Amino acid sequence: MNNVFTPDNNGVVKHWDIFCTVVDNYGDIGVTWRLAKQLVNEYDIPINLWVDDLLSFSHILPKLDASKKQQSFNSVNIFHWNNPLEIQFNAGNAIIEAFACELPSQVKAIIERLHLQPHTQAPTWLNLEYLSAEAWVDGCHGLPSTQPNGVKKWFYFPGFSPKTGGLICERELFNQRDQWQADPRHKLALFQQLGLQGINAQDTVISVFSYETRALTALCELWQTSQTPIHALIPKGRSLHSLIDLLPCTIDDLIPGQQFTLGNLTLHILPMTDQNGFDRLLWSCDFNIVRGEDSFLRAQWAAKPFIWHIYPQEDDYHLVKLQAFMQIYCDNLAPEIATTWSEVNLAFNQENLSAVVMHWQQLNSVSLPLMQHAIKWPINALNDADLASRLVQFVNNS
Amino acid sequence: MKTAHEIRPGNVIMLDGSPWVVQKTETTRSGRNAAIVKLKLKNVLLDSGTEQTFKGEDKLDDIILERLDCTYSYFADPMYVFMDEEYNQYDVEADNLGDAADYIIDGMEDVCQVTFYESKAISVELPVHIVREVIYTEPSARGDTSGKVMKPATITGGGTVTVADFVKVGDKIEIDTRTGEFKKRV
Repeated sequence: MNNVFTPDNNGVVKHWDIFCTVVDNYGDIGVTWRLAKQLVNEYDIPINLWVDDLLSFSHILPKLDASKKQQSFNSVNIFHWNNPLEIQFNAGNAIIEAFACELPSQVKAIIERLHLQPHTQAPTWLNLEYLSAEAWVDGCHGLPSTQPNGVKKWFYFPGFSPKTGGLICERELFNQRDQWQADPRHKLALFQQLGLQGINAQDTVISVFSYETRALTALCELWQTSQTPIHALIPKGRSLHSLIDLLPCTIDDLIPGQQFTLGNLTLHILPMTDQNGFDRLLWSCDFNIVRGEDSFLRAQWAAKPFIWHIYPQEDDYHLVKLQAFMQIYCDNLAPEIATTWSEVNLAFNQENLSAVVMHWQQLNSVSLPLMQHAIKWPINALNDADLASRLVQFVNNS
Repeated sequence: MKTAHEIRPGNVIMLDGSPWVVQKTETTRSGRNAAIVKLKLKNVLLDSGTEQTFKGEDKLDDIILERLDCTYSYFADPMYVFMDEEYNQYDVEADNLGDAADYIIDGMEDVCQVTFYESKAISVELPVHIVREVIYTEPSARGDTSGKVMKPATITGGGTVTVADFVKVGDKIEIDTRTGEFKKRV
């Protein structure tokens, strides 16, 4: 089977290929799918997205048929990447191996052949790495990685500083968000569309998309005693494993739209949604608990306060990454606000139950300046250019 | 072949048909515990430098060149002079020592390996573990017990190592020269 874009000798079609392995959850595929759509929509670059696990992908792209080897959505060609490749690979202008995945041997052989062949241009080969706010990223972004056969691969690091590869953010995203948030009827309509009942405009609504943690259990127990109604919106998944004791049935028996009232807390079971729907959900909540990389960034773009449940790493290295992000996020924040927000994030990630409850209660006293900071932050974080535009420039210059 | 993770200052690797001395290695962790290794390299033939980044598991073509066990004798700016068992002296450019220079001190007895390329001494590899004395560090920050408490310490020779909080001025510490990490108090 041939892939769709076949470049001729004069470069009539200069497509890019993005390779993604789904290790777990929706982070890797979430980021690459957003990037693929943006490159097509805003830069008119034909994109082939190669994904090894279409079933996981279909959770965030419900129209995807996991049994098909080749299909197209949003003008992105989606290929099932199995080993060895059953679809003929034709190199274009750029090949992106996302998150340190290993390219198929056929693809590497084609890159090598083009590298050695006179008068041909080998594609720019990039390793798109994980997002981190750590300082070392500045020094590693954009460096070559010469392979034993002489082919150069380039390390591309997303990041928050001007020296990095930037952050994924679609051109019109902030305008769309502002229009959405300007009218409270939008969020109420969304909740209704998602089958969530009994949420009033003035209620506190919190989205929960964390990994398993007893810190979430502790917060839910606290929210039950709230003076005002709190709604926690939780999809079927890892967060709910921490709340089994609060549920009247097993997780398997839960149905999207189902809700449970516990004191002044209502737990709502969220249906899975596509990425645009997830963005609107984050825009509509008062506070977002997010995880990993993709939802973490979207929570920032939502301009709402959030807790980041970072992917756990050996030796608690994830806490180093968390501290690095908290430091830059709080750079222009008054010390008492920065401390409160940082402490609640740290306590949540350390499963320090008493601390997370105490610091959550302190958030109330800083909610207004924290909200103002959340609105300003996305502009600062972008540093004038998003990831896709810097990536296009990088490929053009390499 | 060695993985990028195994490469250390003083090794010589082949890239694009040229030998490069590894002057400095920096290992950091990316997502899901994957290692990223940044190498500072100097071209043996052209005297030019570059920085490259690799996945920790990437295979690199390290070349086995002639090596001799030597000990450090003295510094004759900009050359470090090493001596073998037969009292032959070899000059190595300070630039080629990279981070290893932080551990070179007068009177050191550590046996180093001097590497030769076309009869010219081009780099020095230190023993994996060396012991150095702490000449300055802040007193212990008692009470701060969240996680592993570490602090910077200056060692003989002027280099800085991140050490455990209990380490004091005058202590002798073991350092892993591959990573620059503090291993233990001796």
